[in-house]
Amino acid sequence: MRSAQAVDPAVSVRKFEREIAEFRRLAADYRRRGWYMAEAKFPIVVVVLAAPQVKPTPIVLGVRFDYTDYDYRPPSVRLIDPVTSSPYKAQELPVQLIRAVEVPAQLPPGFQLPPGMELPKAVQHQNLMVNYGAEDIPFLCIAGVREYHDHPGHTGDSWDLHRKTGAGRLVRLLEVINKYAVGPIRGYNVNLLPQVAGYAIGELPG
Amino acid sequence: MPKLTLEIVVNGTPTQVESNPEAPLLTVVPIALQQTNNVGQPPDNWELRDSSGNLLDLHAKIESFGFGAGVRLFLNLKAGIGG
Repeated sequence: MRSAQAVDPAVSVRKFEREIAEFRRLAADYRRRGWYMAEAKFPIVVVVLAAPQVKPTPIVLGVRFDYTDYDYRPPSVRLIDPVTSSPYKAQELPVQLIRAVEVPAQLPPGFQLPPGMELPKAVQHQNLMVNYGAEDIPFLCIAGVREYHDHPGHTGDSWDLHRKTGAGRLVRLLEVINKYAVGPIRGYNVNLLPQVAGYAIGELPG
Repeated sequence: MPKLTLEIVVNGTPTQVESNPEAPLLTVVPIALQQTNNVGQPPDNWELRDSSGNLLDLHAKIESFGFGAGVRLFLNLKAGIGG
């Protein structure tokens, strides 16, 4: 996998700085949505995402972007622990990025619909974070992400087809991650493990 | 009815779009995309949110949202097909 800077670094730096400047110009809006830029030094940006719809508000995850060689190549995107900055392994992800996709329902073999009747749509759950094992570092499987375009399964969907659409821009990628990782969070799941710790005692006799 | 100016942030880049309050919100999308040179994807592949992150119904009339002066909306490219 390539990792070095191939394009003139001044080009990547300028485009990187534009991303940072535009984010900072609207930082108050993004902060209200729970987005905090924690680090920005070429080629790395780290943004922490909180879930303000939940009280007390949790910090859900961090996102590390690497804009090396941008935009000759798309940015690398990793979900990271916001405290340690370590990329999450698949088994450590605090949330999944699940998309509900409508697909045509299928009848079991041998069945036929009566004429004029249509099958309702079925909903399939698609995880946008892809991995091949619990110890793997998962990648965000959408166009505009370096790991997606470097994957041998996506050679037919070249970055060049997306480069001019803004697919690799910081705010666009944050919007996608926020939509699927943070947006669906509605509260805390709590497991209670009651333990009997003796008896409740009433008024003591004299 | 007077025109309403909306600030639309396209993938992070702000642009001002004059809108007809009686038209559907959808009408501002191609203008915002054109003004920011985002011409590679059709308007259907974009989604518009308010500053709180709420997804806006592009088929509703602009006046129905009750936008005030200086309103800022966020237009971003959808995720596309993953996998």
